[in-house]
Amino acid sequence: MEKFVYIALFAPLVSSLFAALFGMSPRKTFVGVIASLLLATSFLASAILAAFVYQTGGAIHVTMMEWIGAGDLMIPFGFIVDQVSVTMMTVVTLVSTVVHIYSIGYMDHDKSFNRFFSYLSAFVFSMMVLVMSDNFAGLFIGWEGVGVCSWLLIGFWYHKPDVSPEENPSISPSWAANEAFIVNRIADLGMLIGIFILYWNTGSLQYDVVFAAIPHLSHGILFAAAIALFIGAMGKSAQFPLHTWLTDAMEGPTPVSALIHAATMVTAGVFLVIRANPLYMVTPEVSYFIASLGTFVAFFAASMALVNRDLKRIIAFSTLSQLGYMFAAAGLGAYWIALFHLAAHAFFKALLFLGAGNVMHAMHDELDIFKMGGLKKSMKWTYIYMGVASLALAGIPPLAGFFSKDAIIETAFNEGTLILWIILVVTAGMTAFYSFRQVFLTFEGDERYKAFGIHPHEMYKFVLIAMSPLAILAVIAGFFQGTFHTFIIELLPNYEMSEHTHHYVLLLGAIVLAFAVGGIVLAWVMYGKGLKRNEKLENSFVYKLLKNQYYIPQFYAEFISKPYAMISTMMWKSVDMKIIDTTVDGIANLFYSGGDKTRKMQTGNLSSYLNWMGIGLFVLLFIAAISTVIG
Amino acid sequence: MDNILSVLVFFPAIAALLGFVVDKKSARVYGISVASVELLLALWLWMSFDSGNAGMQFVELVPLVPDFGINYYLGVDGISLFIVVMAALMTLLGMIGMSIEKDIKNMIISLLFLEMTMIGVFVALDAIVFYLFWELSLVPMLYIIGAWGGPLRVYASIKFFLYTFTGSLIMLVGMLFMAYLYHSISGIWSFSITDWYALVLPVSYQIWLFLAFFVGFAIKVPMFPFHTWLPYAHGQAPTIGSVILAAVLLKMGTYGFVRFSLPLFPDASVMMIMPIAVISIIMIIYTAMVAYAQEDMKQVIAYSSVSHMGVIVLGTFAMNAEGISGSIFLMLSHGIVSGALFMLVGVIYDRRHTKLMSEFGGLASVMPKYAVIFGIMLMASVGLPLTIGFVGEFLVLLGFYKVSMIGTILAGTSIIIGAIYMLSLYKKSFFGPLTNKANEKLLDLNGKELMSLVPLVAIVIWLGVYPKPVLAPIDNSVKALLTFMEEKAQTPEAKERIVVSTTMKEAR
Repeated sequence: MEKFVYIALFAPLVSSLFAALFGMSPRKTFVGVIASLLLATSFLASAILAAFVYQTGGAIHVTMMEWIGAGDLMIPFGFIVDQVSVTMMTVVTLVSTVVHIYSIGYMDHDKSFNRFFSYLSAFVFSMMVLVMSDNFAGLFIGWEGVGVCSWLLIGFWYHKPDVSPEENPSISPSWAANEAFIVNRIADLGMLIGIFILYWNTGSLQYDVVFAAIPHLSHGILFAAAIALFIGAMGKSAQFPLHTWLTDAMEGPTPVSALIHAATMVTAGVFLVIRANPLYMVTPEVSYFIASLGTFVAFFAASMALVNRDLKRIIAFSTLSQLGYMFAAAGLGAYWIALFHLAAHAFFKALLFLGAGNVMHAMHDELDIFKMGGLKKSMKWTYIYMGVASLALAGIPPLAGFFSKDAIIETAFNEGTLILWIILVVTAGMTAFYSFRQVFLTFEGDERYKAFGIHPHEMYKFVLIAMSPLAILAVIAGFFQGTFHTFIIELLPNYEMSEHTHHYVLLLGAIVLAFAVGGIVLAWVMYGKGLKRNEKLENSFVYKLLKNQYYIPQFYAEFISKPYAMISTMMWKSVDMKIIDTTVDGIANLFYSGGDKTRKMQTGNLSSYLNWMGIGLFVLLFIAAISTVIG
Repeated sequence: MDNILSVLVFFPAIAALLGFVVDKKSARVYGISVASVELLLALWLWMSFDSGNAGMQFVELVPLVPDFGINYYLGVDGISLFIVVMAALMTLLGMIGMSIEKDIKNMIISLLFLEMTMIGVFVALDAIVFYLFWELSLVPMLYIIGAWGGPLRVYASIKFFLYTFTGSLIMLVGMLFMAYLYHSISGIWSFSITDWYALVLPVSYQIWLFLAFFVGFAIKVPMFPFHTWLPYAHGQAPTIGSVILAAVLLKMGTYGFVRFSLPLFPDASVMMIMPIAVISIIMIIYTAMVAYAQEDMKQVIAYSSVSHMGVIVLGTFAMNAEGISGSIFLMLSHGIVSGALFMLVGVIYDRRHTKLMSEFGGLASVMPKYAVIFGIMLMASVGLPLTIGFVGEFLVLLGFYKVSMIGTILAGTSIIIGAIYMLSLYKKSFFGPLTNKANEKLLDLNGKELMSLVPLVAIVIWLGVYPKPVLAPIDNSVKALLTFMEEKAQTPEAKERIVVSTTMKEAR
């Protein structure tokens, strides 16, 4: 089985290096094809491993070689394939394969086609390292690796100029890329500190050693480690207040948004909490904070999605919101439910993004849903796909999202955290509303795009076929909830609803469903027949607040970026060049001028020399006298 | 070869003397050949180095002034070995990539002399010999900046010379006092560092001596607030000067801390942890912020150098093997990466005769290879895992965590603010539309430049993925150093603070 571990891990790396060979040459279709085949290989290997782990219930552990060894620290390149990592591996490689094939069509006309595949495969490799590593340092390799690939891919169209935030809130791809990288770095520092805490208290970074040592550690240390690691998770999973980069990351090509900023990388934070569950189990206050923050973000992000006009940004907000759901579940101790929602979400959200990509392709990169409408005629399949994905996202039975999201909301009820439960239920309604607002504004109603002279066309057939596995999974994934449960609780702590919750289960489900259906109906009433703009609503304070993302990006720009630049310049020009350097030069000049002044002693005049000798003698005598007195 | 170290030190110097009779046209080829042989010798030294032995190897001892115990005394251990190899490597690659045509022969001769002094400093085990090479290294660099530099070259080179010279004079006083103490205790004169190691000094003496050495090292590093000579030196120096300065000369200061301060004054070193940590942290954050404000690409790299040197100093005073090994590894990785970055800035300066970032933008589309290599070095500079930059930075921060959590968090901001200035440099220069007409016809890297940069890229990735061949010998010597310090320390605080690794404890 070891060889499958290596195949699953390294096939994406081979793909990336292969594509990199052609990085500077013109577009070659075979690069995309071979990259997709290698990714499919990786998926197959992951699937075989999944079957193996499922059948045997055991884990495969391989140690490749030593990486860093200093002092008492020893970090190997070690990989573990167990129930959690194999789930992630399968999801990641499956979505990646679909996205690779999709990209052959989507990036068809891009001159940097080969470079794109190189980055995309490099991302998958990093993601695999992240989920497969058997220690925190290895996780950190993947963690930073996906960050760099995300930087490269968000800034893929680096040649675009910066524009004002009013024109484009993301300013430019390269700006958004840097923002994503830097914000993530802030969180990464937290993660590093968490790693240091664990190392100095357990003497190792291997998961098994660290988790085995947890019962012997004091609560303060565990608390600090749990907080520090979660700060890391907040960056990657874009939790408030580090969330702004995710919507700006939509500057990247759409396949990137589907793969990195919806299905895989952004869930790394959730994965970390799930992976470190022995730590979070013993720090209930941190876990409760995670659940509360997750619930808040779920609502907060959904509220911004309600009014946004940008096709991709709406989906990005919805990703943010769903990540909040996952954290809510993980924080409440339902790790397996969080992982289940992670997987289900990966399928339908990737599908949704890829559908959005089809729309963009048809609309010549127009993203404003107010300028679309009536696309169902020309893009039937995309409509179906996006419709299915949105139904799944809204949690309509029997689609995947219903099972996974409902389980999370039920957990909130089961834990007796009623406030969280209420917020999550309301958010479910909002989710349904904004998802279908988007679908209806895009595909139903009047054909507003005609005013802009656009002639939409459906995506290539092979791309539509490539998307079908995601569509099928978005529909059926929920049916495997039971199987997944028995599979995953061999590793993760079991979580089941209490008798009390079971008693209300139908009622609870009905409430959530009512909100979801209500949201869809409301969206239909408001937007189903076309776009009717409501001036009064659009000028209201709340609408503007939501539209401007609660003015948080502006706040960051005014109170963090600008002061930072100002202080930097001040430190350079005033402190470094003026105070410090002038002092140095001043001391040097003291010697210069001292020498210059005393130079005048050398007059060649004998009597003045005698005078100086007299003074010198006097000084020496004086010193001698003093030292006798002291001595 | 018993006297391989002497050969390593004096081969470039003798070759430089012979260089005076070499024809001007073949001076460059001559220099490259000499530097290649030197690098091969250095690699041979590495190959025949016994990684299992933590002590001094290839020791040579010839009495010079027996009455005062001054000896020609050389040796290497895991700590100095790789700095020697790096000095040889960077000299060679710097020469290969060099674009200077003017007075090329003088340049080659200066570089070869410089190479002698650099290697001499790192293999010297006698304080006087160390001091001689230390001071001699100023001369060729003074000449390189003063003769091939920019418009302010004379000011910059004199500032560089006088500033570092002042510091080293104070260090010399410390050395003389150390020898005097040795004489008054043992009755014989000695300037051998290894003899001095045996000396257990009262803590009050240790502090004064520590401070005297500190001034010399701190100006060289350069530590805040003694750093202002560096931006001038880098700003005016030709590319090759900056490469050698950043890659090797600055390391003399941090190497001095490890070779002199820690083993000679273990108690004082422990007492000084906090003041030095504060200076280092100010240095890391402050210079990184100043780097962000720069308009000139080279100044960004220059200030970033200071910031990274802060991390190195911090690791040295972590007093555990993780931190000190990390700090020595970071010396090497900073040498490779900052050297490469200065070469890269040189590439664009050769083409455009400006280093202002506002002049660029969109370079990635005209010079893709250049952009790729710059990108890799950028990532190494911000400490991306699997590049050489991560290993050292990670170990230093990990090691220093044992000393102070708050200190580590503050120093750790270097991974954030480092990313800020480097990414904004990259964005301003390489991304965005190609607006400046002067950049439209720029040629990508040529063969010569690729030959000097590609080996560095290979090293960045090789030692990032598999640092063991370098890290293991370093770590071995560092563990021995710490064990020695712990045994020698007198104060209970020092005994407690200095961490002896488990393997060494078991060996005891």
